[in-house]
Amino acid sequence: MRGRALLILAAAAATLFGCSPGQKKTEIALQRFFGECGAVYGQTVDLAKAEGECGIVTALINKFNAENPDIHVEVNIVAWPGYTQLASQMAAKDPPDLVTMHQGVISDYSSRGLLEPMEPILRHAGIDPAGFTAASRLGVTKGGTIYGLPWDTIGGLFHVNTKLFAQAGLMKGGKPVFPNSPEELLAQARQFKAATGKPYFVQSQLNDAATHVRNLYTYLIAQDATIFPDPKHIQLQTAEARRVLALFKQLNAEGLSTVNQDNPAAIATFLNGGGGVFPTGTWMIGGFDQEAQTPGRPLYQSYAVFPYPRLWGHAASFVDGHSWVMPKRKRTPEQRAAIVRLLAFMAAHNFDWSRTGHIPASQAVVDSAEFKALPHRGDIAPLAQIGRPLPGYVRRQGAIEGLLGEDLGAAVTGQKPIDQALADAERRVDELLEQTD
Amino acid sequence: MRARVSPLAWIAVALGAAIVVAPLLWTVLLSLKANSELMRDSGTAFSAPYTLENYHSILNGNMVFRWLLNSVIVSTGTTLGVLALCSLAGYGFARLEFPFRRTLFVFVLLGLAIPEQAVILPQHRLFADLGLHNSYPGLILPGLAGPFGVFFMTQYFRGIPRDLDEAAMLDGASRLTTFWKVLLPLTMPAQATLGVFTFLASWNSYWWPLISATRGNMFTLTVGLASAQMNYAQTSGLGFLMAQAVFASIPIFIVYILFQKHIVRAMSGAAVR
Repeated sequence: MRGRALLILAAAAATLFGCSPGQKKTEIALQRFFGECGAVYGQTVDLAKAEGECGIVTALINKFNAENPDIHVEVNIVAWPGYTQLASQMAAKDPPDLVTMHQGVISDYSSRGLLEPMEPILRHAGIDPAGFTAASRLGVTKGGTIYGLPWDTIGGLFHVNTKLFAQAGLMKGGKPVFPNSPEELLAQARQFKAATGKPYFVQSQLNDAATHVRNLYTYLIAQDATIFPDPKHIQLQTAEARRVLALFKQLNAEGLSTVNQDNPAAIATFLNGGGGVFPTGTWMIGGFDQEAQTPGRPLYQSYAVFPYPRLWGHAASFVDGHSWVMPKRKRTPEQRAAIVRLLAFMAAHNFDWSRTGHIPASQAVVDSAEFKALPHRGDIAPLAQIGRPLPGYVRRQGAIEGLLGEDLGAAVTGQKPIDQALADAERRVDELLEQTD
Repeated sequence: MRARVSPLAWIAVALGAAIVVAPLLWTVLLSLKANSELMRDSGTAFSAPYTLENYHSILNGNMVFRWLLNSVIVSTGTTLGVLALCSLAGYGFARLEFPFRRTLFVFVLLGLAIPEQAVILPQHRLFADLGLHNSYPGLILPGLAGPFGVFFMTQYFRGIPRDLDEAAMLDGASRLTTFWKVLLPLTMPAQATLGVFTFLASWNSYWWPLISATRGNMFTLTVGLASAQMNYAQTSGLGFLMAQAVFASIPIFIVYILFQKHIVRAMSGAAVR
């Protein structure tokens, strides 16, 4: 008993003196995007009270700082996506300690030796990469080496207006009926249009390279097509790619999809009940679900969301994800220890982050009842398994997306013949990849 | 007596003004709407209710006044530096005889043809080696190298009759006194024009501050406001985005109001005689 009292006293003394205001804190620099919301969440440490990407990440770091008085995480918020600034900091040999990075971008930096391999650090933090979802593990693994702590999986989903689906007779057992082949998709889309007078698809096809690329990559992966046979080439002049583009072109040509809409216009159309399915990302779940909870709105109690249906081959989805990476730089042992603690903290709060709508990187969280109790998460959870990023050796994925998006968009809207669009896209991407060292 | 303006000209001017004002008005109206409402339909910008919520969010941002101060310091510092350097250089090229004067002038003018992007890498490296990133000198110094300003001031000095210099010298004034007390006051319209242009360019500058000021406390307003945006600002945060645009342009609007006469003169070419 006495020993226990002494122990408590010692712990109290350690807390008091060890963390006195005079103690020098270990400072680590964290750089992130997701915006600035200090006005709302600057003091929030209760994670349940934080909403959205910005709110949750702000509250998480507040909480970490509050619970670790010997560490101060200095946050630098950069304009999305922040890679211009990161490259600049690396050139000036002054990068931050931890950075948010899309998993598809990691190879641009890891291939130049600018990032620290993370496996030893994750091990110190008690994080077992075997516990990551398949999509996340693949996303941060480049050339067999793990370069980041994956935080989530982001990808395309079919956001559905269930009221219109019911009107079209496309609901069964309270769930939307999805097609299993391109022919079925066309048949259901025609049925939908005949019953509702509205297009089956609401699509953002203007100035939105990501939409076209997501559709193509997803259905190429589903067909087991090789997209990048090696680090310097893309392979697009294939029967698999032609099939995908032909389908989306036909949907446009038959008026089964909205056309000439950019992302804000497509979102507004979907929110106002202008179509059945909006293929867009995980990040829209929160906004759409809010509409589904608002009486009087067209989506009221009429919203569901699922991964892209299998149309060819097997169920698959092209995905990316957010991760925390460590740029190479000099650090003190104390800073390394602080980073380890922060990474452990972030991994331990993966569920809180999943409230953003993104799929958690931890398989245990994906499987948890807590996660599945969140709206629609049980329906989208398979994305963690069927999600596939591009091969780890593919660099310049962002730039490639921009190039591909232009030609794919031209093909599905009928501005270019499909064969020409694929040939042009292949040539342009190969020229870009040729420039990588 | 005022010249009579034809109705056709009035209509043309009104149409031109409407084309210019419409997007500005739309921006202001969007900034006064709730983001969730705009996500459903941006057309609601033309009808009540309106809110100051987006401006409230900006003003309550942790760093916004720091970024504002940084922009004021950088823009003012750049403007003063450009005026000092370009006036001296312009006087030198216009009035002094020295070896390779013409060649040097052409060399300076070549700077007009070199885009910022072409020199950004060595410039960044230089400033990194000097340890000047994330500092006010790092943000101000690149803006001082202004071939346009040198050309502009040289032309202006050339337009001032040499008789004035000679009269001053006959009265015993040195070159510096002649420059400072006789010629410089005569260049005030050009100084004002150059100053306004430099201030506007510096205030709106984005790229160099983006890569030189990488720490939040050194962001200028343009970079800071961009960093405050969420990833999907154009969809789920349209009102906030527009409020940022309006907020960032308020100081510029004030500068315009104060120096309207000089800006109009500059745009019409009246400042260069």
